[in-house]
Amino acid sequence: MSVNKEEILEVLKGVIDPEIGINIVDLGLVYDVRIVDKEIVIIMTLTTPGCPMHSSISEWVEKVISHLEPEATVHVNLVWEPRWTPELMSSEAKRELGY
Amino acid sequence: MNQDSLVSSYAPPFKVIVKYFVASVLSFILLNFLLMINYSDVNGFHFQPKILAMTHIATLGWITMVIFGAMFQFVPIVLEVKLFSTLMAEIQFWIFILGIVGLVTGFWNFDTGIHLTASAILLNVAILIFSINIIVTMTKVKKWNITGLYLAASIFYLIVTGAAGLLLSINLGFPFIKINHLQYLNLHAHVAFIGWVSMVIMGVSFKIIPMFTLAHGYSEKSGKIAFWLINIGLLGISTVMHYENLTASFYISALFIVVGIFFFLYQMMVIFKSRLRKKSDIGIKFSKFAYTMLGITTLFGILITFTNLSNEMNVTLIYGYLIIFGYISMLTIGQLYKIMPFLVWYHKYSSKAGIEKVPMLKDMFKEKLAASGYYIMVVALAGVIFSFAFQIPDCLLISFTVMFVGSVIFLINFLYILFKA
Repeated sequence: MSVNKEEILEVLKGVIDPEIGINIVDLGLVYDVRIVDKEIVIIMTLTTPGCPMHSSISEWVEKVISHLEPEATVHVNLVWEPRWTPELMSSEAKRELGY
Repeated sequence: MNQDSLVSSYAPPFKVIVKYFVASVLSFILLNFLLMINYSDVNGFHFQPKILAMTHIATLGWITMVIFGAMFQFVPIVLEVKLFSTLMAEIQFWIFILGIVGLVTGFWNFDTGIHLTASAILLNVAILIFSINIIVTMTKVKKWNITGLYLAASIFYLIVTGAAGLLLSINLGFPFIKINHLQYLNLHAHVAFIGWVSMVIMGVSFKIIPMFTLAHGYSEKSGKIAFWLINIGLLGISTVMHYENLTASFYISALFIVVGIFFFLYQMMVIFKSRLRKKSDIGIKFSKFAYTMLGITTLFGILITFTNLSNEMNVTLIYGYLIIFGYISMLTIGQLYKIMPFLVWYHKYSSKAGIEKVPMLKDMFKEKLAASGYYIMVVALAGVIFSFAFQIPDCLLISFTVMFVGSVIFLINFLYILFKA
């Protein structure tokens, strides 16, 4: 597979939390991207467990990556440990939220 | 746990929920319109046919209808269970509508007897269908949380409110209740507002305000204390008020409720303090105003309970208007500005997100128009209270008209979210 981690992170910036208006990468929700053969695994979290707005995010993540690399099998692994904290946001996201 | 399944498989279909919200918002418009054209009847003693009719358009058509819709959406999501029956949610809607129309026209014409009682029975049937649906849903819950606790308690008070209402409706035609009718009405109203409506409001607030404001790492202790205090107080007044002479235990129970409400408000302050999104959007602005009004109304309630103030002209009307409009309506509008865009967005755009450009939630309605609606409603509220207090009919007409304009602004945005966004 020709795609690399940086490219995946770049397309994931297209997945925007519609409530907050900030993409999931800048929000610090994406913990890791693992590429093994034809499988791409995204290890990520959400700001609040059980949030209905965030529930679709993993589906969109799968979709944008499949769009970028149609041959890959994409898995989104949602984890709650370590728990998301605001410190994980990029400085731009922090500025946007007034944090 | 697969978060993806939360909305799509747990919550009932969008069309079931949206029906409740549409009926609710239309009731709000009707309520404000009727208040405007009948302003001269809204005066003095609260136990009058038209005031009773309009109060029930507010409590059943506007408030309870929106809560039904919200509960069908929230209970499955918050407690991670599938709604027991969407068919029951469908059937219940029409029975409830029939009951409201019957009850409101019954009060309006003061047609006590079979007309009023039959309507109250219909409402109770709808309430029971709703309660069974939610209770059976809740039996499958594996992990309870504070929001679930509040929502479960609210069901109990809904049933009590409905039953008390039915007894009151019979009592109007065939007096049989041994205690004063107005005392029993007082109980019916307080169990409705604090037990049913506020339990839902509080439980849902604990879940969605942190979500919308990105609040993290705060203690939920005050919210839990509030739950127990309010429930002990409510069970206390529900028992004590069945007796003719209100004893000290009534005042102690009332105090429990008051302290509980302030614990709730303190919990909300803690949540707002720890929020990451410092800027309040219009939904949060409405909500913050409503929480403040809850505090003010509670203080006013203490004054009425412990003094003879309720004998003064229009005081009960001021109290009722503050509760229904200042607290509950402002909160409902604020929450609908958050929930409706999400539901419609999810329904229309979630399948396109990440691939096509989709609107942000704040683009789903006219935020500036909503903000002007907010100020218009705040001014109208102050105007109505002023007019009641100083008994100025012309000023009351103007204030009700301004509130009507505010409600129409909300309707415009509501329709925009539904059809244009």
